[in-house]
Amino acid sequence: MLRFLVAKLTRAFLAILFVVTFAFVVLRLSGDPALMILGPETTPEALAAFRKSWGLDAPVWQQFLGYLGNLTEGRFGQSMRDARPAIDVVMERVPITLWLMLPALALKILLGVPAGVLAALKRNSTLDRAIMTFSVMGYAVPNFVLGIFLILIFAVQLGWLPSSGSATWAHLILPVIVLGTAGAGILARFTRSAMLEVLGQPYVRTAVAKGVPWWRVVNWHALPNAAIPTVTVIGFMMGSLIAGAVVTESVFAWPGLGRALVVAVSNRDLAVVQVILLLVAACMVTSNLIVDMLYGWLDPRTRIPKAGVGGG
Amino acid sequence: MSKIDRRKLLKSGAAAASVPFVLPRIAIAQADNRPTITVAVQKVANSNTLEVLREQSNVGARIFYSIYEGLIDQDYQGNLEMKPGVATSWRRIDDKTVELKLRQGVKFHNGDTMTAEDVVYTFGPERMFGRGGAAEPGRTLFTQAGGGQGKEPPPEIAAVAKRCWPQLDRIEIVDKETVRFHNKTPDVTTEGRIARMVSEIISRRGYEEAGSWLEWAQKPIATGPYKVQEFKADRHLILASHDEYWGGRPPIKELRFVEVPETASRINGLLSGQFDFACDIPPDQIATVEKNPRFEVQGGLIGNHRILCFDRQHPAMVDPRVRRAMTHAIDRQAIVETLWLGRTRVPAGLQWEYYGPMFVADWKVPEYDPKLAQKLLKEAGYKGDPIPFRVLNNYYTNQVSTAQIVTEMWKAVGLNVQIQMRENWQQIFDKSTQRGVRDWSNSAPFNDPVSSLVNQHGPQGQQQQIGEWTNAEFNTLSEQLETSTDRERRKAVFKRMLEIAEREDPGYTLLHQNCTFTAKRKDIQWKAAQAFQMDFRARNFQMPKA
Repeated sequence: MLRFLVAKLTRAFLAILFVVTFAFVVLRLSGDPALMILGPETTPEALAAFRKSWGLDAPVWQQFLGYLGNLTEGRFGQSMRDARPAIDVVMERVPITLWLMLPALALKILLGVPAGVLAALKRNSTLDRAIMTFSVMGYAVPNFVLGIFLILIFAVQLGWLPSSGSATWAHLILPVIVLGTAGAGILARFTRSAMLEVLGQPYVRTAVAKGVPWWRVVNWHALPNAAIPTVTVIGFMMGSLIAGAVVTESVFAWPGLGRALVVAVSNRDLAVVQVILLLVAACMVTSNLIVDMLYGWLDPRTRIPKAGVGGG
Repeated sequence: MSKIDRRKLLKSGAAAASVPFVLPRIAIAQADNRPTITVAVQKVANSNTLEVLREQSNVGARIFYSIYEGLIDQDYQGNLEMKPGVATSWRRIDDKTVELKLRQGVKFHNGDTMTAEDVVYTFGPERMFGRGGAAEPGRTLFTQAGGGQGKEPPPEIAAVAKRCWPQLDRIEIVDKETVRFHNKTPDVTTEGRIARMVSEIISRRGYEEAGSWLEWAQKPIATGPYKVQEFKADRHLILASHDEYWGGRPPIKELRFVEVPETASRINGLLSGQFDFACDIPPDQIATVEKNPRFEVQGGLIGNHRILCFDRQHPAMVDPRVRRAMTHAIDRQAIVETLWLGRTRVPAGLQWEYYGPMFVADWKVPEYDPKLAQKLLKEAGYKGDPIPFRVLNNYYTNQVSTAQIVTEMWKAVGLNVQIQMRENWQQIFDKSTQRGVRDWSNSAPFNDPVSSLVNQHGPQGQQQQIGEWTNAEFNTLSEQLETSTDRERRKAVFKRMLEIAEREDPGYTLLHQNCTFTAKRKDIQWKAAQAFQMDFRARNFQMPKA
């Protein structure tokens, strides 16, 4: 187990280092933070003063080494735009993002998984086709289009819900539906495929032949075996929770991390970008670890050491 | 019957004397049915501060007019002429000195009364020009605060101040009601500089008591009709009524600027009743809003011109005849009619009517004449060399469409201009590959050509600083325009500079005047300014009568 964890964490560390280095070099070489933050009308003197103040006039490699050095000391740097610690800028957005993304994830799972199971159990029926049609539509329709459509109906025409913002729970409904619909469509398709594969397995036929009740066959034999691909997809969704949803956040003016990342990248606010990337990478790694552990719990065969496989 | 003694009489006298002070406040508290107004904007502030010296942007100008006021104001609802602000009058003492009479009883947001000392402090080294010890660069990019966390302002503040006030010598307090601005050199633009954004008066105590420069910059204490209640970067700015405002009680209890990046979301929010105003509406969306009889779109021309800049270093553009051909090949009116639905106009060169006597009324942009353009290209021996045109993705409204149309117009006369999409300004200015043409817009922060033609295209202006264009005669004239006090001479110099920069040796060419459109509830009486500024004072805002 320890070796497993060490291997995973080493890979995760290398992945994070690569992401951070790549982002730093690309962002630093492709845009001048002084021009981005102060704007094109700014005087050359002001631009020069800004660059000098932030050390942007040093060679990029020197800036990067300094950055890495600070990271090892636990310092994430200052936001050039906000002139305060980048970690503060980012962390104040985390609750707002989770306030949107967690209900959306719950909706995806609560809607997508049962729909996929139902479609598989009623394979080739009208219900199956209807569920699959909606699930394809769910992830085929861009969030931007669905968002505007829902705003037009529920905010503009009916006046039931606010069109944008994040002040109350009512502001949550439309963006959660937009995010949840797309994710539920994906989960429904994955769950259906996995269930169909499992339902055709000999052990399911055996269970049915032995007279095990159908609900028990589905819940005890089919679902756990079909859960692995579904759990993988949910793992990815959990990992990307913290990254927010850029398009949906823009449409609904939701001040989450997705929008913060876009603003930070377009302003070349390097410290903020790097903190967000580190956070996203850390979440991805953690969720992957959790998923790997869940595999072992869901399917005991994955716990057997490699040496034993095919060793005979 | 109770006996009236001296003590009782004094008590009743004091109570009676306090009635005029107490009653209005009780009345205000009891009858405050003023509305909360929500304005949806694309961006509240680019720099995440509300300091006029750092947020040098159009979006900043929009909100600052509610928070700050200068000694001299501008008539934004009229022709942008100067008018009294927190100074009641001003006069010239000599060609270097302007004297201003301060308005009495002006209250800051913290309740202090504005004094001459506040005026001096506003333009002093602590706040504006720096004391020479400003934020030294830190060990690395990420280790220091860029001046924001200490009391010292970031160094770009002093750089902006020096550009806006290059020759300001000192401000003298003549008496408690009078101050004098002394310039080091003769300058006819001093009044204009006093009226421009960056010269707003701030509270000395407010500035000094702030915990840090950043704390100040996010909650400045000034004299405007609304005070900062809450500022959340990239989210919203909430202003509260400054009830002691010298110009009368503001008509709005709470004024909220909410950041909504998407145009469609701003419009839908307005139509659903969530917002009262929606800013930055593109021309092609005006009809969508006005289809609903409860809403209207206001606005139009503002003091900002869209231009195209030429890089004279490009081998094909060294010959001024090629650049002249480019100026004659553009049908500007067609752009105005098609992309702007006729809601803007082709201006008379890089100048504005509010220059007053300095406005050159008979000046025009190069006329649309494809045949002349072809003739000039032939004379210049242009062989179809490609000329790059670096374009941002709609940083300016209709930017990409305009670039495509202009490129086709140039193609029609034989010019081989190729659009290159770029992501940011650094990539636009990048010299590592050949530059050719780029977009820009110019404003005039005060009513004199120095504020635009000299500041943007003169020796210290951006175009020459990045090595795009220069002209020896133009540069000599720039200096004369800045220092001469002879109005006739200055006007002749200005006209000659327009001739050089727009016709003889073009450094840029005008496209059209810029517009900004604001959608709003029709029942609210409010008039858009001829500028980015939004005025929510009682003189320009009235709710419908119940």
